[in-house]
Amino acid sequence: MTKEFLDKYPKNPARTLWIMKPVVTVLKLLFKTTVHRPVTILYPYEKLWVPDNYRGRPGLRFDRCVECGMCVRMCPTACIKLVDVDDDNGKKVKRPQINMGRCAMCGYCAEYCPVDAMTVTPEFELAEYTRRDLIYGPRRLAYDGINENMEIHIEETLISDIENGNPERRISPFKTDRPVLEASKCISCKKCEKVCPVDAVKMIEHGVNEKGRAILYPEFDDGLCICCRNCVEDCPKDALHINEVL
Amino acid sequence: MTDEKQSVCIDCGTADTGKMWVIMGPQHPFSHGLWTLKAQIDGEIVTDAEPIVGYLHRGWEKECENRTYPKIIPMADRLCYAASMTYTHLYCLTVEKALGIEVPDKAKYIRMVGDEICRIQSHLMWLAAVGTDLGNLTVFLWAMREREYFMDLNVRLCGARMTTNFPRIGGVRNDTTELFDRDILRCIDLFEKSIWDTISLIDDSSIFISRMRGTGYLTREQCANLGITGPAMRGTGVDFDVRRDDPYSNYDKVDYEVPVLKDGDSYARYLVRIEEMFQSCKIIKQCMQKIGALGKNAPYRLKTPSNVPAGRAFARIEDPRGESMMYLVADGTDKPYRLKVRSPIFTNVSASKPLVQGSRIADVPVIMAMIDMCLGETDR
Repeated sequence: MTKEFLDKYPKNPARTLWIMKPVVTVLKLLFKTTVHRPVTILYPYEKLWVPDNYRGRPGLRFDRCVECGMCVRMCPTACIKLVDVDDDNGKKVKRPQINMGRCAMCGYCAEYCPVDAMTVTPEFELAEYTRRDLIYGPRRLAYDGINENMEIHIEETLISDIENGNPERRISPFKTDRPVLEASKCISCKKCEKVCPVDAVKMIEHGVNEKGRAILYPEFDDGLCICCRNCVEDCPKDALHINEVL
Repeated sequence: MTDEKQSVCIDCGTADTGKMWVIMGPQHPFSHGLWTLKAQIDGEIVTDAEPIVGYLHRGWEKECENRTYPKIIPMADRLCYAASMTYTHLYCLTVEKALGIEVPDKAKYIRMVGDEICRIQSHLMWLAAVGTDLGNLTVFLWAMREREYFMDLNVRLCGARMTTNFPRIGGVRNDTTELFDRDILRCIDLFEKSIWDTISLIDDSSIFISRMRGTGYLTREQCANLGITGPAMRGTGVDFDVRRDDPYSNYDKVDYEVPVLKDGDSYARYLVRIEEMFQSCKIIKQCMQKIGALGKNAPYRLKTPSNVPAGRAFARIEDPRGESMMYLVADGTDKPYRLKVRSPIFTNVSASKPLVQGSRIADVPVIMAMIDMCLGETDR
């Protein structure tokens, strides 16, 4: 049986010429290495070529971020947190800060960013002298030469689309999934309006209650909503849930 | 330590404890990873052996219970760093079974390509380890050189070299890129030629052959009793491969052979693994043809609900090292209630006693390297 497997392979000339074996091998190798370029690279002086979509450290486009916190929610190692920072106009905003010591370079923050503010970058040389230096603030996360290839999009096909004979449509869940209100649980606390990062929630009056106070129910602007689930998570009475279109 | 059968010293007449326990590991040049092999030696012959694993236990299964389903995918990558995509594939298969959805054809083929790339990559890493165990650093360097082709393919496919985080529940992360389509066939052609350098280093050298042939015998009965799977089992003449006999993804739609040898020694296991690499190349070529036939617009990722309905699901897959399984208990929320992993190496390492019994102590590293230890998945 063993013999059969060996016989299948092309005969190596070195196998028959047993005296010449080392000579043939060495000469072949000498010829090969003279003609071909080297396999290894001199690392600090020349670097490995990496494509644009290489998953190095995460990068951030400061202006695009809407502080929705989706990256914080999706990070498997919990290395991202939102910190207060001044933007270009001196306004206080929140932006992600990443602890590179914990980052697993999985690319989830870039993939699940609804506005494509987070990207992957081809930067892989992240060594620092202290642990403090490994923490990348929002400004330090910026990357020169960021381009569309570094964005990761979720392009999903709906099961209903395949059944309806339209399998070529791609859509991201941030465009289809929207929060739905269960009106009987709502206590008109306006928390969803406050936490919405894109102002897609408006509180609309629906009459008054027995004490004479206005009953407010949230209404969602489907065009503005990015499905970040902040309203769902912060609702004190669990009155909201995400309607997943499948 | 003493043994019951103490021999009596001829010169002085006192009892001589001729047997000695040698502790190899957890930090030992022979062990690829953190594990211990306690070997009882009588002179130079190993009479008893006992593997000890658990140094790398990190509570993987418990950790999964606090994470939502997509967040487990990067963790499943880290079960086995040499073949990360197979475990991610297995996890996604299990969750898809629990959800009851069928993945599009294109996603299945892309996953198969990823699996086979990982299989070649893992076998090359094993070849490199065997080379160093046999005392030949050239085998190590050349096998690692060829492994680099497949690392580059991973970069072109999904942007990461080792922990790919590529399959998703319902498909794969992205379509194959143009760079990947162009490079994969070139890489395989190059690999099929250049691997012969490495094989001829081992196969043409009588030293390596004599150290592998006739050592580390396993029988079919021992395989059945100890639950050994993978190339170690196929080296003993058991003709079983999950890819062919219980096909998942689209393995029933491609044409390949399962190499089986009857010898049952280390050399048979070596030949099975070498042949598996060539069969993987064959599978990749066919898969790339089928992906091309499906066209660029074919769906590759389905949208899945974030909550998995309550129930149980089980999937198994042919890992480079054997048969790995996952069992999922879902309770209707977005986090699993329990996720159990069956690692092939955890069971295969239990064969270390029949493997090394009767061999010389110098052969132990070679025999144990033929199991292809991977501690990330063993200890979880």
